[in-house]
Amino acid sequence: MQLQINYVDLILIYVIFAVSLNLLMGFTGQVSVAHGAFGAIGGYTLAYVFLNHHWQTFAGMGLGVVFAAIAGIVVGIPALRLTTEWLILLTLAFQIIVVSLVQTLTQLGGTYGLQNVTPLNVFGHKLLQPTDLLPLFAVLAAIVIFICWRMGESPYGRVLRGIREDELACRSLGKNVFAYKLTVFGVTCAMAGLAGALLVITNEIASPALFSFDLSTTIVAMVIFGGMGNLVGSILGATILVLLGPFFENVLSFNAQKAALWRLVAYGLVLVVVMLVRPQGILPEGAAPIRWVRARMAERRHEKLSPELELAELRGGALVDVAPLVDEETAPPPVPHVGALVDAPLHDDTLLEDAEERETPASTEPVVQVYGLTKRFGGITAAYDLSMQLNKGTITALVGPNGAGKTTVYNLLTGAIRPDSGKVLLKGEDITAMRPDQVALRGMVRSFQDVRVFNRLSVLQNVMLAVPDQPGERVLQLFGRWVHSTRVERQVRERAMQWLDFVGMSALAPFPAGALAFGQQKLVALARVLATESDVVLLDEPSSGIDEQWVDVMLGLIEKLRPQGRTVCIVEHNLHVVGRLADHVYFMELGRITAEGSFEDLTSEQRLAEAYFGTA
Amino acid sequence: MTAFTWDNFLQLTVNGWVHGTAYALLGVAFGLILGVTGRFHFAFTFTYAISAYLAATASTDWGIPFWPSLIIGAAFGAACGMVMEAFVYRPLALRAGAYALLTIFVASLGLAIIGTNSIALYWINEASLQISGFDNRGINIGPVTLATLDRDFMIVTWALIFLLAAVLRFTALGRVIRAVRVNPEMSLVIGVNPLSIYLVVFAIGGFLGGVAAVFDATKTAATPDMGFNPLFYAFTVAFLSGLSLRPLLVLAIGLGLGLIESWANLVLAPQWTQLVVFGILFVYVALRPVHLQALLNKVLAPVRHRQRAMAG
Repeated sequence: MQLQINYVDLILIYVIFAVSLNLLMGFTGQVSVAHGAFGAIGGYTLAYVFLNHHWQTFAGMGLGVVFAAIAGIVVGIPALRLTTEWLILLTLAFQIIVVSLVQTLTQLGGTYGLQNVTPLNVFGHKLLQPTDLLPLFAVLAAIVIFICWRMGESPYGRVLRGIREDELACRSLGKNVFAYKLTVFGVTCAMAGLAGALLVITNEIASPALFSFDLSTTIVAMVIFGGMGNLVGSILGATILVLLGPFFENVLSFNAQKAALWRLVAYGLVLVVVMLVRPQGILPEGAAPIRWVRARMAERRHEKLSPELELAELRGGALVDVAPLVDEETAPPPVPHVGALVDAPLHDDTLLEDAEERETPASTEPVVQVYGLTKRFGGITAAYDLSMQLNKGTITALVGPNGAGKTTVYNLLTGAIRPDSGKVLLKGEDITAMRPDQVALRGMVRSFQDVRVFNRLSVLQNVMLAVPDQPGERVLQLFGRWVHSTRVERQVRERAMQWLDFVGMSALAPFPAGALAFGQQKLVALARVLATESDVVLLDEPSSGIDEQWVDVMLGLIEKLRPQGRTVCIVEHNLHVVGRLADHVYFMELGRITAEGSFEDLTSEQRLAEAYFGTA
Repeated sequence: MTAFTWDNFLQLTVNGWVHGTAYALLGVAFGLILGVTGRFHFAFTFTYAISAYLAATASTDWGIPFWPSLIIGAAFGAACGMVMEAFVYRPLALRAGAYALLTIFVASLGLAIIGTNSIALYWINEASLQISGFDNRGINIGPVTLATLDRDFMIVTWALIFLLAAVLRFTALGRVIRAVRVNPEMSLVIGVNPLSIYLVVFAIGGFLGGVAAVFDATKTAATPDMGFNPLFYAFTVAFLSGLSLRPLLVLAIGLGLGLIESWANLVLAPQWTQLVVFGILFVYVALRPVHLQALLNKVLAPVRHRQRAMAG
């Protein structure tokens, strides 16, 4: 009996490892092959203070968790700017360093490790047997699952998924990506530290072999097998892979050495086969077994399913599962009829109410002022001594040949790159040195020429991510003001649906944005920008890459922003678009503004007409 | 820690040179695969070990002399790499698209685990295998001792690295490999099938890794997990050289790393020297050149500003 319970204890420990790594890897997109190393920090800390300073086990465990969290943040700081291959390398190096270090330090027992870490003492009761440890481990695992679930399946988790999909797009919507990533690194590594401490308690030893690279790969295998971005999948993955050991040992009657090797071979096979056959794991992101059971029960009761559930059913339970984790049985999303979109109401009563509240006639009141902005990349001057102004309630166009530096201007205005000199004022405030998220929070957002929708998030989630002031996106409010954040979440959903109605895309709300046509993605991106409710909207080639009918839809929507008192700037090559929309036009060549005025002024200039407009 | 004397210093330099040569060969092999194909070939650890095991079997069980055994072992390692590319990585890359790097890394991790543990299962009664047929002796050159195995290893490795450099620089195959590395899609347009080139690259990388493995196992012994440490060195050298397709640059970086690690014995206990290498890797990754450049620009900005102002 104790043997079986010991396996349950082990499963609970690996559940903590796997669930926490999934939050980091599956939700946030930060690949780590060093989760075992963070476990080592927690486990060794507990063993060291327990053996050398006679600390209470819980105190040692707490210190281990804190140390692992600190280590996670330290590793997380350089990881903030790394692409996947570099992140793999960084965490790999960290794993090797930690194991080499504990192997080298004589204070930590060298190769033999720290032994006799026993037994766990809880309020005077010694927990000697696996059955004694089970309730404690179950409670700790439940707490970890709860925290990960709350962080992952909430507005906070939506931001994490957004970061995974596209960091820059996330920052441009006002999300402090650095803070999110560091928090998740810290929290998940702390959890790994806790699991490491529990592993030491179970084995009564902290040794390099216990926290070797094999441990880290095993945890990765559990996450991948279970399904990235699905916490239930991680619980299943951990359970199944831990049970492989006793399966080989007891069912197939292998000796312990052989069983251990076969178990590892099975881990490897799981990784390869899962990648080849079902890369999304046994439970893909968005698949919820409980919801599936409820849907089946509802079906039996002949109840009508909600549209979202029906779609989830269509997709085999995965709402947000797209290539390469694409389910081949998935039906393609219905493409809305363009005529229907054009005829669709391009406004919403609530949104118009807001518009009326802040409606102001086109004015000369400057909202954005730019003075002497210069940016050089090596020997190339991308922007030189640019000065411009965007006025409230007007649409300004930035035109010029390819390579003139128009998109660079957007990057400079929104903080994506820092200027070498010059100043940008937003509503009188100097925002020159601010990050993109700080600029967005102050009321200036941008769209991207290449759209940058969050592919694996649904259309609705894409827009919900942009709605400002969500308490559920802040970790303290997420846990401290649960009811409030849940209530606000409902409002956010309604608000996002209104913006999708506004651009005529509400019918596609539950579909993954990556599955839409390019023109549809552009409309989603527009809804996302508008949902930020920012005063200043910078649109990068809103009509490029979409056919004429979609262009008309897009222009109609942009025109509706002017009476709302929003300040709009567009970078555009399509002169028909510029002529229809722009109140004021800046003409750029080789990083300089060489002309400005109304569209008619510029097209009547012979030099520009010959060189660019082609209308001479 | 080794006391500083000139004799010790020279001996450490020679040791560092030998180790550095091995790191360079690993870096060239792994960097070629990752740099050209973009596959994070973690299963290199398996192809490394299996090369040594096959060479050991050939030399000990089949009685084949050392040098042919080395070629058999290395060729088998190359073949294993090609099989992985053809039957696992390629289908995954075609399916995974933009997510191929992570997908292939995970699958490769799986292949490494399967491979090394399969070796352990197959040779379950033997903790390690010896490679026979090489008469390893010490040669005294002044105050320095060099083993004949190390001497031959350096000759073979340097010859292979120079040969690869020449192939990449001067031959049609080399030009095609470089073209595929820069733009695989465009190479298709000019009639080069990048997938065939990937196979060639896996063959070359696997063979070079196999050569390193056979010498490594001849020095000590072949064990299932013998490929892990070399793989980490391969990572380090390959990334420090920026996944360059210039084998001579990789050779220089490998030698530099070997020397630093060896000279570290003068100031650190031997067990700490390996940490120096991975410490360098960690710091390098954390503060990559692009970040170092940004940091430098930030520090130097006021100075440059003053200079410009004075010039103006």
